[in-house]
Amino acid sequence: MATARPGWSRRAQYGLFFSFLAVLAGILVGLILLTLSLVAPARFAAVRGAALDATAPITSALYEVTSTAKGMVTGAGDYWDAAHQNAKLKRERQVMQQRMIEARAILLENRELRAALQLRERARDAVATGRIVGSSFTSPRRFAILSAGRSDGVRVGMPVRSAEGLVGRVIDAGQLASRVLLVSDRSNIVPARLLRGGIPVISQGRGDGTVDVRPLEVGRNPFKRGDIIITSGTGGLYPPLIPIARVIRLDDDGAIALPLADPARTSFAIVEPPYEPAAEAEGPTP
Amino acid sequence: MVRAALASKRRIGKGPSRFAAIIPAATVVLASLLTALPIVSTSGWYPDFGFLAFIGWRLLRSDPWPAWWAAPLGLINDLFTGGPIGLSVALWSAAMLALDLIDRRTQWRDYWIEWAVAAVFLTLDEWLQWRVAKYAGADVPWLAMGPPLVISICVFPLVAWIVSRIDVKRLGR
Repeated sequence: MATARPGWSRRAQYGLFFSFLAVLAGILVGLILLTLSLVAPARFAAVRGAALDATAPITSALYEVTSTAKGMVTGAGDYWDAAHQNAKLKRERQVMQQRMIEARAILLENRELRAALQLRERARDAVATGRIVGSSFTSPRRFAILSAGRSDGVRVGMPVRSAEGLVGRVIDAGQLASRVLLVSDRSNIVPARLLRGGIPVISQGRGDGTVDVRPLEVGRNPFKRGDIIITSGTGGLYPPLIPIARVIRLDDDGAIALPLADPARTSFAIVEPPYEPAAEAEGPTP
Repeated sequence: MVRAALASKRRIGKGPSRFAAIIPAATVVLASLLTALPIVSTSGWYPDFGFLAFIGWRLLRSDPWPAWWAAPLGLINDLFTGGPIGLSVALWSAAMLALDLIDRRTQWRDYWIEWAVAAVFLTLDEWLQWRVAKYAGADVPWLAMGPPLVISICVFPLVAWIVSRIDVKRLGR
């Protein structure tokens, strides 16, 4: 369809016209699909899961190669300056042991208080463990690929965390892999609170690897640099007391914080069942 | 010596590759598949490789693939990149149509014009992604889309060069 009129041949003219119609049909189908995926995202769950499974083996295999290479480099770096590091670690261990004894005492006290209050502990078992093996490259959305899927019990809407903190929640689940909406995605709003003082705040991603934190009550800016934000458990999707982010910069009515669980360095991520079983993840998905 | 100078560098029996018809589309699919690499990007500043390859091929040739292939190629890109399904289907089909209209109007082409045309289409792509993300609940400020847009415009000449090398190999020249 490069020229306006391909000569006198009727056949060529019809061919050109039909290819024009085919492209128009392509645009129409694309717009219909786009509307459907915005209005009813669940409709494409199966096909999205299948696409995840198709690339999961490649991604996982390549991940092994790169992590081995990275491990060799950092492993060699650790031998450098070993004596100095050893002394530093010993000092840190001393401090940690004191802290641990304090923590044990607090734990004991906590248990007694709970028993007194007759609080029922909700047992939380991990559904699955996987690795963050990839992510969305472009687009304003922030997704990560987790190497655990439906066959491991992962379902859409489950919260994902790592040892360092909250990672996000599952939005697509294939048999072998799943897609996680990171806390740094703009549409991921996490009810949270300040570790220092327990002031309720809201954490919302900024799409560039950081999160915005805002206090629920308008007024004084309660944040300080270095503050830790933890989940509050409100809403029932994310379990309470998971660290989310550390404040790095203040602005007029809130602060910008850096997620503690950096998906690029997180080795293992744990998928947990929704905190309140009734709370299914509703809300925006791609 | 005269003979050697006159002789063509082309070897006899060297023609287009057996898969010449599908190589362009295959490279676009491969470019879409780059998202399967185990790279975790927290900022999302990587370019849209599938669309870059698509535009690169279409600007090099007017018929790298039948026009209607744009829709299935776009669907593959949407599925692998995890974007909203249908975005690339509509955008890539529309790009085929728009580039045909541009081909009809332009009197002459050079590198700068091709780069400018590509920049316009890449901006359109980023803008559409931003717009759709807004409808899906991720209301990112438009300025945040600046760095990935600049990066993808700067990467385009490299992609165009790779595509032209593949084209030379494909046609056995």
